[in-house]
Amino acid sequence: MTVDTVSEDLLQVDGSDLVEALAEHGWGDGLPMVAPTPTRVEAMLTGSPGTDPDEVVAVLPPRFGEATRRILAVNAVMAGCRPEHLPVLITAVRALAHPEVNLRGVNATTHNVAPLVVVHGEVARSAGYHGGRGALGPGNRANATTGRALRLVLLHVAGATPGDGDASTQGGPAKYGLCFAENADASPWPIYPSAVGVDAPSAVTVHCGEAPHNVHDMESDDPIRILDKVASAMATTAQNNACISQGEHFVLLCPEHAATCAVAGWSRRDVSSYLFQKARLPATELKRAFGLRAWAPWMDQLANDELVPMTEHPDNIRIMVVGGPGKHSSVVPSWGMTRSVTLPIHELGD
Amino acid sequence: MLIYRPDGGVAQPPAQLAPSPAVLAGRRIGILDNQKPNANVLLGQLAERLADRTGANVVRTETKNAATACEDQVLGLLTEEVDVILTGTAD
Repeated sequence: MTVDTVSEDLLQVDGSDLVEALAEHGWGDGLPMVAPTPTRVEAMLTGSPGTDPDEVVAVLPPRFGEATRRILAVNAVMAGCRPEHLPVLITAVRALAHPEVNLRGVNATTHNVAPLVVVHGEVARSAGYHGGRGALGPGNRANATTGRALRLVLLHVAGATPGDGDASTQGGPAKYGLCFAENADASPWPIYPSAVGVDAPSAVTVHCGEAPHNVHDMESDDPIRILDKVASAMATTAQNNACISQGEHFVLLCPEHAATCAVAGWSRRDVSSYLFQKARLPATELKRAFGLRAWAPWMDQLANDELVPMTEHPDNIRIMVVGGPGKHSSVVPSWGMTRSVTLPIHELGD
Repeated sequence: MLIYRPDGGVAQPPAQLAPSPAVLAGRRIGILDNQKPNANVLLGQLAERLADRTGANVVRTETKNAATACEDQVLGLLTEEVDVILTGTAD
C-alpha cells in the first residue's frame, strides 16, 4: 500500500487497504471508510447547490484547519453520507465554530465531551434523519454517517486526534458520532428551535456534553414523579455540571414521558423550571467535592445547608422529545465551559 | 486511485509564541496558573527555582478556568509586567 502526494489537495493511493493507508497519515477513526475520490466528492457537493465549494465556512481549533465545503464533503464521503446530509454537516460545523461553544476546549480537554447533533424540521424528514425508536443508537444511515462525518472533521480538520489535539483521559463512545432528529411529530410542545429563538424550516443544534444517561420510569402517571427521576440523574457530583454552575443539561424526554407532562398542563418551560428547583445538591456536598471551582458569584454566597441548583438558570435546562414507544428518557450533562448553539440551515438551495 | 486529502489547509493561528530570551537575569517571570489542582504549586516552585538560579523576578497571575481562553485583562497585565510566562495544560 502506498500513498503519494499528487497535488496540494490530492493523493494517489495504490493497494487495497484504504484504512491502513490513511492511518499512516494519522487519518481515520479506525473504521472502514469510503474513498473520497474526486467523482464522489463532486457528487457530494451537489447537496449544497449554488454555493462556493472552496469558501471557508469555519476555522476549527486546535489545528486551525480551514473547513471549506469541499473538505467537509470529503469527510462526508469518507463517513458514508449521502449528498442530502451535507447541509446538516456544514451547519453543525458552523455551529461548533461559534465562540460560545469553546471548541478548542471541547477538543482538547481531558473530559470525554463530544458534540451531540440534533436535526430539526423539514430536513429531518427530507434527508431521512430518525428521531423515533432507538434514535440515539444504530440503524439509520443519516444519523450514523452525519455524526461520524462530524467526528472525522474534528479529527482531520480541527486536529482533535487522541494524544495530540484531544487529551481525553478515557474518550467515549459519543466521540464516534452522536446525531439524531428531534421527534417533533411526537412532541406536545413547539419544535425545539422555536424555544431558543430560531424560526426556520430546518435547523441544527449542537451541544457538547457527556454520553446520554438513562432515566427509567414505567410507574408514574404524573409529571412530578417522572421529573423527580430526571432531576436525580442531573443532581450528581459525578459530572461537570456539579462544579461548573453555568453548564447546560439537555433532557431528552421520550414521547410518553412528555405526553404525561403535557396532559397535566405542563409546558416546556414548566418542565425546565421544575427541574431547576428539584435538581439540587447540598452546598456542603459540592464544597467537599470541588470547593467553589467555577460557580457563579451568587452561588458563592450560599450557606452550607442550602440546596444548590445544578445550573444557574432554568433556561440552561433544554427540553426536547426524542425516541419512540416506551418509558425511557435521557439526560445529557454538559462539559460545562461550553454553550449549545442552534442554527438555521441555509445550505439547502431553497 | 486518486483521492482528496481529508485535512485541508491551515489558517493563521490567532497568536504566535514570542522568541525566548537568551538570558533570564533581570527578567520578570510570570506564572499563569490555570486553576487546575496543584498547578500553582508546581509552577510556583519552578518559577522560584528559576529565579534563584538566574536572578529573575516572579510575578503570579491566574486565569478563571483552565477550560477557557485567558481573559483579556490578565493578558494585558502579562504584556505590561512580564517578560517570560510559565504555564501548563491538562491536569
